[in-house]
Amino acid sequence: MKRRQFLADLIYGATVALTLPVQSVEARVNTTGIRYLRPPGALPEDQFKSQCIRCGQCGEICPNRCITYFGIANGMDVLDTPFIIPREQACILCMKCGDVCPSGAIQPIKRTFKEIVGKVRMGMARVDENLCLSYQGKTCGVCYRACQLQDVAIKVGMLEQPRVLESCVGCGLCERSCIQMPQAIRIIPDYGQQKEA
Amino acid sequence: MMTAKGNFFHIRHLNKLRWVVLSIVFLMLLLLPFIYLYQTYVAAHAYDLLPASEKQIYNVMEKLTSPFVSDPENQLDQIKGNTWSGTLFGLKLSDPLAVVSQAAASQKFYWPFILTGLIPLIFTLILGRFYCGWICPATFLYELNSNLAVLLNKMGIHSGNRRFDRRFKYLVLAVGVTLSAVAGAVLTAAIYPPAIVGREIYYGIAQGGYSHVVLGGFGAGAVFFFTTLLFDLFVSRRGFCRYLCPGGALYSLLGRYRVLRIQRVVEECNDCAKCNAVCEFGLDPLRDSFGQECNNCTACIAICPTDAFEFKFSVKDKVFQGPGHLGRSYRRGQEARLMSEPDE
Repeated sequence: MKRRQFLADLIYGATVALTLPVQSVEARVNTTGIRYLRPPGALPEDQFKSQCIRCGQCGEICPNRCITYFGIANGMDVLDTPFIIPREQACILCMKCGDVCPSGAIQPIKRTFKEIVGKVRMGMARVDENLCLSYQGKTCGVCYRACQLQDVAIKVGMLEQPRVLESCVGCGLCERSCIQMPQAIRIIPDYGQQKEA
Repeated sequence: MMTAKGNFFHIRHLNKLRWVVLSIVFLMLLLLPFIYLYQTYVAAHAYDLLPASEKQIYNVMEKLTSPFVSDPENQLDQIKGNTWSGTLFGLKLSDPLAVVSQAAASQKFYWPFILTGLIPLIFTLILGRFYCGWICPATFLYELNSNLAVLLNKMGIHSGNRRFDRRFKYLVLAVGVTLSAVAGAVLTAAIYPPAIVGREIYYGIAQGGYSHVVLGGFGAGAVFFFTTLLFDLFVSRRGFCRYLCPGGALYSLLGRYRVLRIQRVVEECNDCAKCNAVCEFGLDPLRDSFGQECNNCTACIAICPTDAFEFKFSVKDKVFQGPGHLGRSYRRGQEARLMSEPDE
């Protein structure tokens, strides 16, 4: 019986190992078990992990207190690296963290419209039309008003129904401000995959 | 012989200066998170909405910083970070261990970051492991911990004073850097006390989850650091720094041929061995053995009753010069020589 158990485990392990590569990109780079954003200007996830020295300066300069740090529960490889949970506190795109980061894990980006739209890619907002009040006929538009890049990253149509555009940088202010519970708009992080491609 | 009494610049006082420097560094690490909190309050323009405790932080920090800055939200960004990596008025400084670990983890040389380790590197090449004695915020706590051990001993609770092989920390350094390279993450940051202390103070004060509670956010590093304190207290005096610290290992290697080192003046030495007793790193100044481990902390200079130590520009320690000339065994040797001389 023991040998059979061992073989079963072996086959199970091999199956998991073989199916890993076909899992989504996000599942491969995100091993922490939570949905989080990296600070604006962060390198693609694997490079970020290897280049971040865990000094904590990005969090110490963030005026919006949105940057927090992973504990040991989320894995040793991300321990003490910075992240943002947009529903808790979202990024206001002040770009101070990139300036202060000594390691290059967060690249410095100038605080201009062009630079931010061109270079920042924390993720992308996605609207759940089943949850969104505006799509349910109750005019809302809070996410649109919270957005720093109105009409560039997000547009509203009839009944303030939000529509996310390609230029969304994923700062998360829309998710932070959504009055639905659970939130009807949320940032889907891409961990820098888009910029690499 | 120049006496220490009345001479403000006597090298005996360097140890006091060292404590002043250590205290300043540690107090800065305590102060910076509060300054950061103050900045966030200012940025939020919400003084009236703050709870009483945070209003107090705001008021105190405003008093402290208002003589120096007019725009706290931005001007106070000039000093950030900790001794692992910090920003001082636009100058970025990093621990050489951070530079080495990052290069290993990312398997490439990111020059803007490597250059931030240049100034500490130059200082280390000249002064050796001085960081460990003069700046490291963990040293501040470890030395207080050593004093606590003395106190406990007086109360009858015996602290441990085991000795291990000093070379073990080089193994820790090698394994730490190798594992960082394999894992693709800077793992040494998790076991390096000064990095932990700097980070955890900030976590504790300013990162209390989302509850904004002061001293509520300690992480795993705090537990690790507390364990090293207990190790030092009950297993081996200053054991982590002596035998395990990867940063200490790197600094020791870099400071092997340091230019400025403490040397014993054999003519002034009376063999009292107080220097050996006081040396936090368990070195043997009495027998001229400082080695690459010496961090120029000057504790031996401060305790020496006969001022038998001096700073010398030299890339090598003196070889054992024999017993001190003011000591008993040297005198006996002299007498014996005098007795035997007439016969020759």
